[in-house]
Amino acid sequence: MAAGALVQRLGAAGAGRRGGFGWIAPALLALAVALPWLVGDFYLRLAIEAFLLGALALSVDILLGFAGLLSLGQAMYFGLSAYLTALCYLHVTQSFWLVAMIVALAVALVAAALGAVAIRAKGVYFALITFGAAEIAGKIVHNTRALGGSDGLLGIPVPAIALPGVELPLRSNLAFYYVVLTVIALVYLAVTRVLATPFGSVLSAIRDNASRVPCLGYNPFWYKFFAYLLAAEVAAVGGLFYPLLRGFVGPDLFGFEISTQSVVMALVGGVGTLIGPLVGGVVITFLQSVLGSFTERHLFVLGVIFILFVRFLPGGLFGLSRRGRAP
Amino acid sequence: MIAVQGLSKSFGGLRAVSDLDFVACDGGVTSIIGPNGAGKSTVFNLIAGSLRPDAGRVELGGRNVTGLPPHALARLGLARSFQISNLFFGLTALENVRLAAQAQTPRRRFLARLDRETALVEQARAVLGEFGLADLADEPAANLSHGDQRRLEIALCMASQPRVLMLDEPTQGMSPAETRAVDALIRSLAGRVSVVVIEHDIDLVMSISDRVIVLHQGRKLFEGTPAEVRGSDAVRDAYLGAEHGAA
Repeated sequence: MAAGALVQRLGAAGAGRRGGFGWIAPALLALAVALPWLVGDFYLRLAIEAFLLGALALSVDILLGFAGLLSLGQAMYFGLSAYLTALCYLHVTQSFWLVAMIVALAVALVAAALGAVAIRAKGVYFALITFGAAEIAGKIVHNTRALGGSDGLLGIPVPAIALPGVELPLRSNLAFYYVVLTVIALVYLAVTRVLATPFGSVLSAIRDNASRVPCLGYNPFWYKFFAYLLAAEVAAVGGLFYPLLRGFVGPDLFGFEISTQSVVMALVGGVGTLIGPLVGGVVITFLQSVLGSFTERHLFVLGVIFILFVRFLPGGLFGLSRRGRAP
Repeated sequence: MIAVQGLSKSFGGLRAVSDLDFVACDGGVTSIIGPNGAGKSTVFNLIAGSLRPDAGRVELGGRNVTGLPPHALARLGLARSFQISNLFFGLTALENVRLAAQAQTPRRRFLARLDRETALVEQARAVLGEFGLADLADEPAANLSHGDQRRLEIALCMASQPRVLMLDEPTQGMSPAETRAVDALIRSLAGRVSVVVIEHDIDLVMSISDRVIVLHQGRKLFEGTPAEVRGSDAVRDAYLGAEHGAA
């Protein structure tokens, strides 16, 4: 909770300047780098989970905050990536890089096929198609014995990441934490860079007023299509590490609960801010964990948080300066 | 620049536009007028690609563009404004105009860093200056007055450096003073682009038009200079009669 208040203060401080979030990301990064000295293993692993779910929230934000598309099935790419990762380590290869490439390619193919259909739909229909596709994917996995059915896949080996001259053993909590932190930071920087372009500005235009965009000479289809691909890949980054954290994967990774939770994370952090959803991911994950130790009803609390933010702080923690987002 | 041949469009049993032919003159102002329900907006949408014609042909600079989608027409040099301001209200005036200018840049630059695309920003500022909106560059479009929004609407069109500018009731809802200013602006643009104006109020277009096409029940009733239109008995009966006679 202290972290949430801190973030809010930081957000308010940054709101004075246009684009004034420039120093907040480094400040949060410094805090994240120091975290292993501040907390024990339990919270370190919780932080890893928060970052991975934060990537999913970031993925939601690319669609919602830039292209104006609400996905209620973004967990599909999280689950798809997690299952592929698990299957690869169980049956195919122990090479992290090879697995990452297989996952990236497979997710791109699925996202291209589904995206080409889904983004032609507008508003609530896009949300329904993404929701339906994720539910179908989850049910298929649930009913496929080869994929472990409702039990999921267990005993996933944890690989080491081969870098030139060094091996990073993900079995070590500390190494795993820093690997995930580095990857998420790089993903954040890459997404920020890709959206701070004419491409990103057209997405913002689509979100603001989709009807006018074609009249300027842009075909909205391709902008939404590439935003959808980008979002799917970002979600897949979360799924690439999740099985290594938990040691197993289950069909609920495709589920509505994870999809909606990621929307709540994006909203709490600030839709359209990119950094906000990552912070929202951390805040909500820690909140869920703390509440979960007191009550079974933590989903109820999540719902209340969602309603309160929509009603009173729709811009989220970082949304106090909406114009501070990438143009 | 714009040539239309045999253009027809029906909605159900209603023939909104029947067998329409006209040519919009190069570098001049062509106005399409007619009472409500004459088919003006349908003609506009058929040319701008929002509707597909049942029959007929639309040419832009000698090229057949019939049935092309709006984004393709825009890249070929056709810019259109909207009767009700259709802006990016959450973006600043500058961002609005920059988006329009950016649409004409090569697509390979679409992943360039936006903050280094200074030429685009300068181009956008120049357009805003030309339309008297320079001081409002960093203001969200939603905060602009109605008159400023109408001018931004036209600025957005001109920022894409079109060959043909189509304006749908450009002075709709403006005060007489604002209307005169926008009329002068349209007249000054006419040397650079071919302008097609759709207007319901006949008096508004008389001073700015080189050529006037009068629509009545989906057909071309009359075509000529403003003076000829004023002198036409057929126009007076069909158009003025319907409007002023009833009053």
